[in-house]
Amino acid sequence: MKTLLSKNKKRTLFISLIILLLSASGKAFVSEDNLVRLKGLEGKWQFSIGMNEEWISPKFNDSSWESIKVPSPWEEEGFNGYNGYAFYRKNITIPSNLKDRMLYLNMGYIDDVDEVYMNGNKIGSTGSFPPNYNTAYNAERIYYIPAEYINFDGSNLIAVKVYDSEGEGGIVSGDVGLYGGKTAVSLDVNLQSTWKFSPGDDLRRKESDFDDSGWSEIFVPGKWEDQGYRDYDGYAWYRKSFVFKTTDENEKMVLLMGKIDDIDQVYINGIFIGSTGTFPSRSRDEASTGQEWEAFRGYYIPDGLLKKNQKYVIAVRVLDTGGDGGIYEGPVGLITQTKYIEYWRKIKKDGN
Amino acid sequence: MKTKHYKFFTFFVFFVIFGASAHSEDLRKIVSLSGNWKFSIGDDSKWSSPSYDDSGWDQITVPEPWESQGYNDYNGYAWYRKSFRVREIPSNTTIYLLLGKIDDVDIVYLNGMEIGRSGKFPPDFKTAYDRDRRYIVPADLLKGNEENVISVRVYDSYLSGGITDGPTGIYVDEDNELLDLNLSGKWKFQTGNDKTWKSAEFNDEDWKTINVPSAWENQGYEDYDGYAWYRLKFSLPHDFNKGELYLSVGKIDDIDDVYLNGEHIGNVYDLRKKSWMGVQYTGWEWTMPRAYKIREGLLNRTGSNTIAVRVYDEQGLGGIYEGPIGIMSAENARKYKNKHHNNNGYNSFWEYMYDKFFGNDNSNND
Repeated sequence: MKTLLSKNKKRTLFISLIILLLSASGKAFVSEDNLVRLKGLEGKWQFSIGMNEEWISPKFNDSSWESIKVPSPWEEEGFNGYNGYAFYRKNITIPSNLKDRMLYLNMGYIDDVDEVYMNGNKIGSTGSFPPNYNTAYNAERIYYIPAEYINFDGSNLIAVKVYDSEGEGGIVSGDVGLYGGKTAVSLDVNLQSTWKFSPGDDLRRKESDFDDSGWSEIFVPGKWEDQGYRDYDGYAWYRKSFVFKTTDENEKMVLLMGKIDDIDQVYINGIFIGSTGTFPSRSRDEASTGQEWEAFRGYYIPDGLLKKNQKYVIAVRVLDTGGDGGIYEGPVGLITQTKYIEYWRKIKKDGN
Repeated sequence: MKTKHYKFFTFFVFFVIFGASAHSEDLRKIVSLSGNWKFSIGDDSKWSSPSYDDSGWDQITVPEPWESQGYNDYNGYAWYRKSFRVREIPSNTTIYLLLGKIDDVDIVYLNGMEIGRSGKFPPDFKTAYDRDRRYIVPADLLKGNEENVISVRVYDSYLSGGITDGPTGIYVDEDNELLDLNLSGKWKFQTGNDKTWKSAEFNDEDWKTINVPSAWENQGYEDYDGYAWYRLKFSLPHDFNKGELYLSVGKIDDIDDVYLNGEHIGNVYDLRKKSWMGVQYTGWEWTMPRAYKIREGLLNRTGSNTIAVRVYDEQGLGGIYEGPIGIMSAENARKYKNKHHNNNGYNSFWEYMYDKFFGNDNSNND
């Protein structure tokens, strides 16, 4: 009773075992090791230099555009010497028999910065466009495609906005394609999108009326190192407002925050929702285990907090103690408890 | 030099003996609860109800972390449910539910009533992943020859989760056979310290009730350390044992002062021989079985009697946590102490160490 084995010791032991077991299968992080290639997307894409927000839309007619080979630097495809903005577009069909698993778009390596849209909805971004330009030419782009953005059995438009600063540009290499992962989760409120972001720490940032208009933008999920905060370790906050659209506001909701590197506290309108890991504090004797970054976050929302069609602000306090940082892997969003239970039952059945 | 070597060798032998036998109270399993349980992730207060239909739930093996049973990577709330039957409800004993270790936090309901909890749920999350779950089962909650339903609400922060390890089942405390009068069950309880609380006349009606014996951390006082008082009023049955009597208050974490009808009848330090350093806190008082002699004439054989126990808990679990609780004969008090002491009269290696260093060699621990 007085000599409790420290949690650290037990957990370290547990982790070592897990690491031993997993070492053969590689990283737990979304990587091609865990993903199955469903459809190659190499070959001809529609291409135009320049930049126009209308090109994101599936309605835009790109038939007059050039055809270009993907993956390949555009310098080698007739655009030698071009630096700056360009767009790639391609229509694909996604059969409905893929509804059961999470789908990912692998856009390979893009030189230097990109934003990727599925049917007009942003699904990911890496690097940072001017004026705060930051290259991410050496990062592989693997983006989760929320199921609600997909027109199953129909035509789906992928639009890729690229910025190249100098040298080779475009979708230069990689295994570009559609990939399948674990059992699909269908979110009621999808929060995978652009959030407000600011390094530093201040608990007032959790309040709904906090002014974040001066903050920068970041895509969630995605580590901040790939989005203009290279080598940044320490505290940072994410904020996102959303409207709670639901058919039954009495249903218990779960906020999925995916995986966060390393520890986090999550608030909705200033109210504490959940936390993984222990923030440093003089009054706490429990230390972090160093394994928080691998934990999948599902925080149960207190009953009665969310009201139909009302606006809320989620604020996430993150502490990254080293290496990659931030909300780096989805799914991120709200799901009813009923669907969340079904989701886990399905995961168990699928054995993934 | 020779003696020192001898002593060192004895330490070693004791370390091996005590290290191997962590056994404390004498529990006998009457219902095994290991094996298949009903399981669902999520959280809903309706799931504590015995009439809730869990037939659509998943099955899970207890004890074993849910991560290795198809719920790898799951963190958060989950519920376990299990129904069981007891052929005959044991009488005049203390019934326990053991659930081994639960990672991280739990509340346990029997037939819809809460019988214990460990750790703290969010937002003030506090893990109790390494604590052995042992909750008192109030005999009046158990149904004989009918379905009883246990439901367990669990919260796991991250890493392994669920009812992970250890003995699971319904147990009875064999030591209760030593009692002439079993006084375990609902007592009055108050945190703090006030010397008037020892008095038989003190009115404790406003106090909370607590199950004895079971650590107060299992009963809603998760973070409490320091002073607290327990009180119980009781009367003796007609024709009660006329011989020399002892009051057993079992094991207490950490230090106690026991009063019967306002008179001090014992303290853990009365049980230990005095060393040349006098009485002092060793940190191992919580391992001592307490049975204090009741002086002749102190018990009121026809009217009401009052027990008041002052407890001081230094840290960790606190309170009267293990039985038997009640009145026993002098012979049974001796049996009880002998059973829980090792043959050499020590509860633990550390007491033995303490004694060898500071103790008076020719005294007897009994």
